[in-house]
Amino acid sequence: MKLQKIRDYADRPGGFGIIVGIAMFAFIALAGIIYPLFGPYKSDAFVGDSFGKPSLTHPFGLDQLGRDVLARTLTAVPSDLGVAFLGVTIPLAIGTILGILLAFVKNRAFVSIVSSLIDGINAFPLLIIAVAMLTVLGPGLVNVVIILTFMNWARYARIARTRAIVVMQQNYIEAARLQGYSKKKIIFRHITPNVSSESLAYALSDFILVIIVVSGLSFLGLAARPPAAEWGAMIADGRTYIGDAWWLTIYPGLALCWSAISLSLIVEGLSRRDRGNS
Amino acid sequence: MAISFMIIRLSPGDPAIARLGAGADPAAIDALRKQLKLDVNPLQQLVSYIVDLLHGNLGTSLQFGSDVFETIRRTLPLTLTYIFFSAFFALLLSIPIGVVLGWTNKASFVYIYRSITSVIIATPNFFIAMVGILLFSIQRDWAPVFGYVAEFPQNLKFLWLPVAINTLIMTAIISRVLQSSVVETKNEEFVETGIIRGVSRPRFFWYYILKPSMAPTVVLMSYMMGTMLGATVILETIFSLPGIGRELVGAVLASDYPLVQGILLFFGVITVALSFLGDICAYLLDRRVKL
Repeated sequence: MKLQKIRDYADRPGGFGIIVGIAMFAFIALAGIIYPLFGPYKSDAFVGDSFGKPSLTHPFGLDQLGRDVLARTLTAVPSDLGVAFLGVTIPLAIGTILGILLAFVKNRAFVSIVSSLIDGINAFPLLIIAVAMLTVLGPGLVNVVIILTFMNWARYARIARTRAIVVMQQNYIEAARLQGYSKKKIIFRHITPNVSSESLAYALSDFILVIIVVSGLSFLGLAARPPAAEWGAMIADGRTYIGDAWWLTIYPGLALCWSAISLSLIVEGLSRRDRGNS
Repeated sequence: MAISFMIIRLSPGDPAIARLGAGADPAAIDALRKQLKLDVNPLQQLVSYIVDLLHGNLGTSLQFGSDVFETIRRTLPLTLTYIFFSAFFALLLSIPIGVVLGWTNKASFVYIYRSITSVIIATPNFFIAMVGILLFSIQRDWAPVFGYVAEFPQNLKFLWLPVAINTLIMTAIISRVLQSSVVETKNEEFVETGIIRGVSRPRFFWYYILKPSMAPTVVLMSYMMGTMLGATVILETIFSLPGIGRELVGAVLASDYPLVQGILLFFGVITVALSFLGDICAYLLDRRVKL
């Protein structure tokens, strides 16, 4: 019964990709939650010879200090996907609300100043700004989230504003207003749900970008510092030994690809479904 | 320009403390703040920065004590060279791929092609680079693991792998956009007219298909050059190329505030100039585009 439902969903345009993507993402997210709790090795425990080859007891091998690479790769899931998740949802919330409020502002001069500020922020490549701002803030995953919030709200604000202006002209908003609902209620109960679908779609594809940026910054040694288990930092760590021990670099990298590809499957599937329906 | 200034100034935190560490001597922090001209209010800071800038003075690097402008002039050409070559090769590869796939639009090919490009786009460039190093530098001895020699014939040996990786990523993105705009162009009426009039093959593909489809691609490319500057930061660190990206990372790690600001300013100028150039090219290719 349940299986049939999933099968029906998969038959719709893009459905198959969405299901595979969700399954892949759920797999790595669950593994990242379960392994640190029940797994045989801790991410920072020295459990064997340094540069141990991948074997049955250590499927991903051991790193230069004899730590289990599988344990480290999976322990990194919360700090990678978690930071990326915060780095998407916080700006999504702030940007959407600001964008909707901005749609209400009538003052032309104010709107044009804020819009040009938004465009200015959007014009810069994210990675470079993040690198530059880390000079001032100092390295660290928390600071990365702060920077992502600081830079990414602008994109969501623009999307939300454009959409909110359209939504505000719809009849149901007019109806709500005529019924005498307060402005607050109209904004949160009537406008926000109708604006957010587009922002959410963008947020999903932004998630991929943010995962890459977070791990890229860690790779440069600017986010998570080497002793911490984080994919980018692990790849940077393994880089020195790539000639002798490829598993130090390849497995965290594959985990990174796995998560990014699972998300991109979902994004592609959703966009194909949109096109299929229209 | 003002934005690059503002972003770095507005970000919370104190560069002097970041440079010297939180437990540093307050007198030393004050002295550094004075040297960086941080002790006056933001508006005065902006004015004095612009005045310095008009004199061609970007300040002095805290790390090396050298002129920031000199450092940028020394490191920028390499970065621009290989970004330019990657863009050139990417365009060279994307045009046939995009046009052929867009024109035939055979479902199975397009599906395979879109899957491959999705994987490339979703993979971080430093991982692709690591795999590239593993395959070509360690398994085969085709490229040195890292390092750089500035003389002409030897430097190709160091540059081909970073350029190839950049090209791969850019091709994946650009050819996708080109492919979908070719599919769109195909449905236009003038294409049908072209077929009926029996325009010769090369002329048909060039004027009827490619030229009207190029505008979004060119805009995307000019935008991507900015993103590529970000990507070079990582690639240069991996391959130890003495370009501007590696300089930026070094400056950030050393909290070299004037150098970071100077490089950021240059990146800003390049990004804006390129997007302007892209818009003009798009207009020249397709007069329907509004400037």
